[in-house]
Amino acid sequence: MEVARKVGILSFVIFFTLVLLFSEVSLAQDNLFTGNVKLLSDSLCTRVLIQVPERTGYVVKDSDIPPRIVLNLFPLQAKFPSKEIPTFDRFIKKISILKDSRNVVKTILDLNISTYNFNVFFQKNPSFVIVEVRALGKDPVSSILGFEGVDEKKGSLALSPSPGTGGKEGGMWKVIIDPGHGGKDPGAIGPSGVKEKDITLGIAYELLNLLNQNPKFEAYLTRKDDEFVSLDKRTEIANILRGDLFISIHTNAAWDSRAMGIETFYNSHYPYGEGAEEVALRENAALASENIPSSVKNIIWDLIQNQYRKESKDFSFILQQELVKVCGGENRGVKSAPFYVLRGANMPSVLVEVGFISNPWEERKLKNRNYQKLVAMGIYRAIERYFNMFSKR
Amino acid sequence: MKKKVLLFSTFIILSFICGVIASPFFREKTYQIKEWTRKTTSPPPVSKEVILYFSDSQEQLLVPVKRRVFFGENVSTINDQIRKVLEELIKGPETKSLSPTLPENTKIRAVYTRRDVIYIDFNSSLTSNHPGGASAELVSVYSVVNTLLENFPLYSRVQILIEGTPHNTLVGHVDIRGPFRKNPEIIKKP
Repeated sequence: MEVARKVGILSFVIFFTLVLLFSEVSLAQDNLFTGNVKLLSDSLCTRVLIQVPERTGYVVKDSDIPPRIVLNLFPLQAKFPSKEIPTFDRFIKKISILKDSRNVVKTILDLNISTYNFNVFFQKNPSFVIVEVRALGKDPVSSILGFEGVDEKKGSLALSPSPGTGGKEGGMWKVIIDPGHGGKDPGAIGPSGVKEKDITLGIAYELLNLLNQNPKFEAYLTRKDDEFVSLDKRTEIANILRGDLFISIHTNAAWDSRAMGIETFYNSHYPYGEGAEEVALRENAALASENIPSSVKNIIWDLIQNQYRKESKDFSFILQQELVKVCGGENRGVKSAPFYVLRGANMPSVLVEVGFISNPWEERKLKNRNYQKLVAMGIYRAIERYFNMFSKR
Repeated sequence: MKKKVLLFSTFIILSFICGVIASPFFREKTYQIKEWTRKTTSPPPVSKEVILYFSDSQEQLLVPVKRRVFFGENVSTINDQIRKVLEELIKGPETKSLSPTLPENTKIRAVYTRRDVIYIDFNSSLTSNHPGGASAELVSVYSVVNTLLENFPLYSRVQILIEGTPHNTLVGHVDIRGPFRKNPEIIKKP
């Protein structure tokens, strides 16, 4: 009798252990990495497509000597300990995939070229992490963006240090101007029918002219005409150009026509990877438990620290100050908000609301060409003051 | 001996099947709409005093307003109560000094709850009759999020869906791909 009870208890314990074990195995199946890597190359760039499960975060590091790009993908379970994929590509020598720790897969791209430019982004359905590698020296900008009249000097892609890393010697600051809305998306419409998309484009062109007159700056627009450009495309353009600053120009609208004034926003969360916030939150809960590997902890901290948050915030305050000084009007202050367009840019980025198109008085002002020039001047002064901070250091 | 092997293998197979069945419970899958469950409550209250967040006239901050909501016979679950409270929010404020935060003809297609997240599925009136503009968009999102999380403290996040699907943005600015937590910063201090 005694023995039978013992056996009963024992088999019960074994049963639950096995249930836990198998559920863990099937859980791992969800985030299984098959090692499916595709290479797509054209004359300008090579794209490496790494197939990953839907909710995968990534952290990127690159080095010049040896020329390589390292991607840490997580949470991901590799089916294999390591794998090397030889390539016959102009830019990429070899791709190695290593199992870094229980949850992390390290992908190393060894490059053939020492001066390069790259861009990493996430694509859904099917989900891929895509690495774009380009060689420097040529003029890919005009072909990517359809800019015809870009001259050799201004159009060339140069590796620019982020403003956070100090001054740029002899180089130019690259400013990406994003005129809000456009094409089928008119943006907000004022009481007399003025469309946000027209005003933002007007201000953007005035700002472009001001910046391009100064040899310290080179400026680009994310749209040149009344055309629809998706928010993803806008930040992709900015990232390809490796801008030093991203400014999205908008006009505000409210339910109440009394609302008025100027307001500047910076992103309230880090703009890094698709769904990375969810991953971080989930992993954050796990941080409390002790058995999580330290490498994963580091990656999460990498992720959480929004690298451009401080710069974006600093510039927001400068922009708000200068704009109110130049244009007058109600000062609504600087705020942080989870704006989509601020989440994809790999550079300091702000969104400025230059006035309320829903307020009849401000609508009339915004429509005025001279007022648009004034707004552009305010933004220009802020850009000048912001970059002067880095040259002085 | 044969019997023992048979017993052992059934045991292994059984535990494997249980493991596979149990595995989804170890992991959050917010995107699996089919798995959403309805939470039922014991006898529903007839009326409830709720806090609704409307916008100040400058659309900078949300102002809490107390209102008594009467639940009819059809309101039996938490999901029904959530719907009722949201419908009150859509009706807008009673005073001229405050602004509405959602278009009046917005309809709620469905309310789902799963774990700590409330999912609200609005019809397309929310976007098509929206004035646009970042400030109006921010008060729309946070009035819904703050109102629901204030009145239903069982939940900690709210996700907005439009016509049954998640969207990138509401009307071009605010990223609504994922669920939102309560934002106390946007609430007007008394």
